[in-house]
Amino acid sequence: MKGVTRSVGPSLGRRRFLEVAAAFGALLAVPLDPAVAAKGDADADIELTDWIFIDAQGGVTLGLCQPEVGQGSYTALPAILAEELDADWPAVKVRWVMGRDAYKIQFRNEKPSQKEGASTSTTKFYARLRVAGAAAREVLVRAAAARWQVPVSDCATESGTVRNIRTGATLPYGALAAEAARLPLSSTPRLKTPAEFRLIGKALPRRDTAAKTDGSAKYGLDADVPGMLNAAIALSPTIGGWLVRINNEAEIRQQPGVRAIVRLDDGVIVVADRFWQALRAVQMLDATFSPGENGGLSTELIDRLAEAGLDAEIGVTALARGDAPRILGQNPDQVIESRFSVPHLAHAAMEPMNATVHVQPDRVDVWGSIQSTDASVAVISKISGVPEDKVHLHIGFLGGSFGGKIAPDFVAQAVRAAMAVGRPVKLIRTREMDIQHDHFRPNNKGRLRAVVDKDGYPVAVHARVCGQSLFATTRPNWLTKTPLGDYDESMVDGIYNQSYEIPNFHVDVIQTPLPIPVYFMRSVGSSAGVLFWESFITDLAHKAGIDQYHYRRHLLRNNPAALKVLDAVAAAASWDTPPPAGTARGIAFDTYHGRGGSFVTHVAEVVELVRKGDGWKVARVFCAIDAGLVVNHNTFVAQIQGGIGFSLTSALKSEITFSRGGAEQSNFTDYPLLSIGEMPEVVPIVVESDRPPQGVGEIMVAPLAPAISQALLHATGRRPDRMPFRPDVFKATA
Amino acid sequence: MSIPFQLNGRPVSFDGPEDTPLLWVVREHFGLTGSKFGCGIGMCGACTMHVDGAASRTCVLAVGNVRGRAIRTIEGVAAEADNAVRKAWNDLDVPQCGYCQSGMIMTATAMLADTPSPTDQDIDRWMTNLCRCATYVRIRQAIHAAARSLKS
Ligand code: FES
Ligand code: FES
Repeated sequence: MKGVTRSVGPSLGRRRFLEVAAAFGALLAVPLDPAVAAKGDADADIELTDWIFIDAQGGVTLGLCQPEVGQGSYTALPAILAEELDADWPAVKVRWVMGRDAYKIQFRNEKPSQKEGASTSTTKFYARLRVAGAAAREVLVRAAAARWQVPVSDCATESGTVRNIRTGATLPYGALAAEAARLPLSSTPRLKTPAEFRLIGKALPRRDTAAKTDGSAKYGLDADVPGMLNAAIALSPTIGGWLVRINNEAEIRQQPGVRAIVRLDDGVIVVADRFWQALRAVQMLDATFSPGENGGLSTELIDRLAEAGLDAEIGVTALARGDAPRILGQNPDQVIESRFSVPHLAHAAMEPMNATVHVQPDRVDVWGSIQSTDASVAVISKISGVPEDKVHLHIGFLGGSFGGKIAPDFVAQAVRAAMAVGRPVKLIRTREMDIQHDHFRPNNKGRLRAVVDKDGYPVAVHARVCGQSLFATTRPNWLTKTPLGDYDESMVDGIYNQSYEIPNFHVDVIQTPLPIPVYFMRSVGSSAGVLFWESFITDLAHKAGIDQYHYRRHLLRNNPAALKVLDAVAAAASWDTPPPAGTARGIAFDTYHGRGGSFVTHVAEVVELVRKGDGWKVARVFCAIDAGLVVNHNTFVAQIQGGIGFSLTSALKSEITFSRGGAEQSNFTDYPLLSIGEMPEVVPIVVESDRPPQGVGEIMVAPLAPAISQALLHATGRRPDRMPFRPDVFKATA
Repeated sequence: MSIPFQLNGRPVSFDGPEDTPLLWVVREHFGLTGSKFGCGIGMCGACTMHVDGAASRTCVLAVGNVRGRAIRTIEGVAAEADNAVRKAWNDLDVPQCGYCQSGMIMTATAMLADTPSPTDQDIDRWMTNLCRCATYVRIRQAIHAAARSLKS
């Protein structure tokens, strides 16, 4: 971590901040405290660090560099700053900031960039923000001490003021900011001890709730720019197809409000005064697309490719411990084998992808539902020809993302539309376009084979995963090189880095290249890998006739941190007491490793199915997580509750299939979401540890499906091996 | 031809085609953007408003059908001091991304007017709005809390 230094060109940095803040204030300022919002004399702000800005009236503005997509960064990150700063928490303002090195994070071998993703908002910024807050607090204290001519040890801080502990005199931060800003910042200020925390580790109310229940929270969809036109888009139904011609262009032009038709290589954008006019016109559009090379792409073909890979002689080795292939080869009659399959998935955030773009000769302004800041800036600059430092993003609240709003193709389309008409344009994808032209979570198939010892525990395991590679399309330089070729570790997330003790363990991977656009989705490869792995462990325990919890305990016997979480969930669910009639349980465990070793979080879940009529229903989920220090218990619990529902949607419902080169699903009719009646009771169990904060937002997703499949094995005698688990596998057998 | 109706208690009128969806009339012509666009086919409820008190999915409701009727949006609910449903939502910190929540609150409000003491089954039947963040646990808690406070 870099120490906090004042940015090299403070005036430039500051100007950039104010510009963005002013343009954006209306978007993100939450009217919790109208008095603070109304004051808004931004020019009076004095910058103490890249993150902390104080006006003469003492108003404190904290910078937020990670978009709020629902996870609670809008509350948790400023709270970390406010904690060390000793700011008056209810009164602070929060504003979006961008464009400085301090706001960037590095993923693997990429160059540092500003973006939200991979559960890193808190893990990557915890230390950075504490140092920034503490350093700012120190210069405020020194400014007060100088004013009073007393040693700094005579000064204490609380709620945005410095107090002289001998005289009781106080000075608000606003009165000290100008002097404090002239003092050098320490890169190693004294940080609070956990016992001193007033905000961190508590259950803080979200700062964005009121705006999200009164209609005032502004999302990309709500951007309103003077002179703005609105656009709808129709893209090639075939992946990689191209536009040949528009057959009814004259008719479209005559539709009410229509201003322009913009041709793209792979689609058509209709620009109109109002969005509903653009939408009508695009629905009337009669365009001919060439299917290109992929017209024959279908799920049947995709499945056949992946299945062939499962039985191929060799794959690219991701892990070789001991000599599993030899042991399996020598004991062919004793091999236990299971196969699994997961489909492509769409992100389907509730707010469809949208962007509003205003291109001027010397600057571009973009408002939108955007998860990756720097990648979008690069694309916008490239298309518009305006330099990157003249591209201004104004990111409000995102109506969900789950990884879906990182790939900036929808932003690029809006830039093209705005350039074509020479006016600001808001482009909104319909739900149909949002789903059909998503960058999908890739498909995968797995084949797991094991030989067990006389007690039924694995001696040798060979795991093979086959499917479309995420990295090959999105991050080729993240592929791991081996003499036999490259492999994509995300395809074996939760397998190659699983925690059980297995003396001989071989993991290999076969990519089946597909033209389908794919992208990261909440919990990435582990949403497939952990299903395969934990379901296979279920099979081994079942064959051995050993209780599923105790089987896993045995395999984790030398891993106290993992056992603590597994034991916590089992205790909460009273695992060792047999369930009542009409209830069936399943248990699953995972240690989630942040990409590139950025964090380690342990999670264990118990699912309870209850008999309802002639079938079984997911009624209750216990979820224990050790994610180190929990910054905000309120949003932590919310992430567990929501993450279980999100995961259950995938487990029960979600599947993108392809035919004739395109996705077959297009709206919530054929890509349904979980409803409230299907939502189980959730029992969150927070296993605290003294580690710094680890990733949270994705962790609860992966173990749910294998815990369900195991509970189904107990309930029905059958363990499903294909996601999603369709209603027939929940039918009672007796 | 102009279509008059009431919007949050204020008389307004829309000059435009009768088949324009009410959602877009309210968002684009009257500038109230609290109601959201989620699916456009009446499946998700993000666009829910009240038409004479009944929860309606306005992405598929032609403005011609609300001539002379009373439309209430989330902004209308927010203008009420001490609205019990909103308060319950705030107390329990229901929203995550928040995008579906205007529609959720509108549906819950209509339900509580019809069924002041809803059972969990009533909630399942009424609350067919979708939430991708799956905030359903807290939505259910908030509805029960609002029902209790409305009774007392
Ligand atoms: S947008 Fe109206 S129901 Fe989904
Ligand atoms: S809170 Fe995000 S869709 Fe409901």
